[in-house]
Amino acid sequence: MDGIWLWISFALVSMATHLPRGSFIVLGQRASLPPAVQGALRYAPAAALAAIVAPSVFVVDGAVQPFNPKFAAAVVVLMIALRWKNPWLPFIIGMGVLLGLRKGLGF
Amino acid sequence: MNRRFLAGARSGFRIFLPLSIGLIPWALVTGVALTSAGLSVVEAMGMNLMVYAGVAQIATLPLIVAGAPLWLIGLTALALNLRFLIFSAAIAKGFHDVPLKLRIPSGYLLIDGVFAVCTERMLSVRDRHWRFGYFLGPSLWGWGLWQCFVLTGVLGAGALPQDWSLEFMATIALMVILVPLSKNRAMLVAALVGGASSVLLRGMPLKLGVIVAIVIGIIAGFVAGRVLPERKEA
Repeated sequence: MDGIWLWISFALVSMATHLPRGSFIVLGQRASLPPAVQGALRYAPAAALAAIVAPSVFVVDGAVQPFNPKFAAAVVVLMIALRWKNPWLPFIIGMGVLLGLRKGLGF
Repeated sequence: MNRRFLAGARSGFRIFLPLSIGLIPWALVTGVALTSAGLSVVEAMGMNLMVYAGVAQIATLPLIVAGAPLWLIGLTALALNLRFLIFSAAIAKGFHDVPLKLRIPSGYLLIDGVFAVCTERMLSVRDRHWRFGYFLGPSLWGWGLWQCFVLTGVLGAGALPQDWSLEFMATIALMVILVPLSKNRAMLVAALVGGASSVLLRGMPLKLGVIVAIVIGIIAGFVAGRVLPERKEA
């Protein structure tokens, strides 16, 4: 692809990112959502995070496969995060479990 | 720049710091992907500065390189980024007294992790300077970290261990954010339904399944909040 088209596509992807991001923050008082919608939006972070995380834990090569190394590691991460406040522990032990299963046991 | 602003920035930074390490593997992966797609260092970093959104960059890259029509590239990016419309609306009230010239760069800096960590305080704290610091501190840290490690990925592509499943660190980071959010029952319903829907709808074209799943999860949480009895949060 030619240089100029490359930069045009970058600009397009940039707009498609920053118009949604800036939308309500920039418009401020001039645009607002009804209170019921705002109440519903409180659930957006939890729903969005779960929607992004779940497929990467349960799906292997396009098929649902509940018992895989990532799922095992995710369960361990979940238990650690529920139990301890230490912020580094989930990363260290979660990656340890995943790599141990993958490299050590050959899953 | 005053003391309340700096105090807010410090608090936000401290909360975001451990979670921000989850950006590192993503940034490295993005940098490697940009280079392997055939972009020069200037092109790769140019796209990275203009877009500043790992998922959108990685997902549109094959289309861009293959010379796909611009409307398809734009629509794909928009579909991946619609969640930011929801995020922007949810956090906008926290910026109601912030001047326009600061709101525009704030929109540019709004990433998933900062949104998840900062929204509650952004909506509840009254001190404008503290509140804006609480958003800007972690946002600038996240931006700097992202640019540095994408550049590292761009320059070091090929020398990294590619079989270490480093991308899983991003999943761990998102889970660590998700767990405290889900201690409220209605939030837990939103997360479970959103996650399950996303898995079931993964076959939808252009990653639209993720957006539909988020909407279904929000509706489920909203209904659960109305139906389930209130319980004190842990």
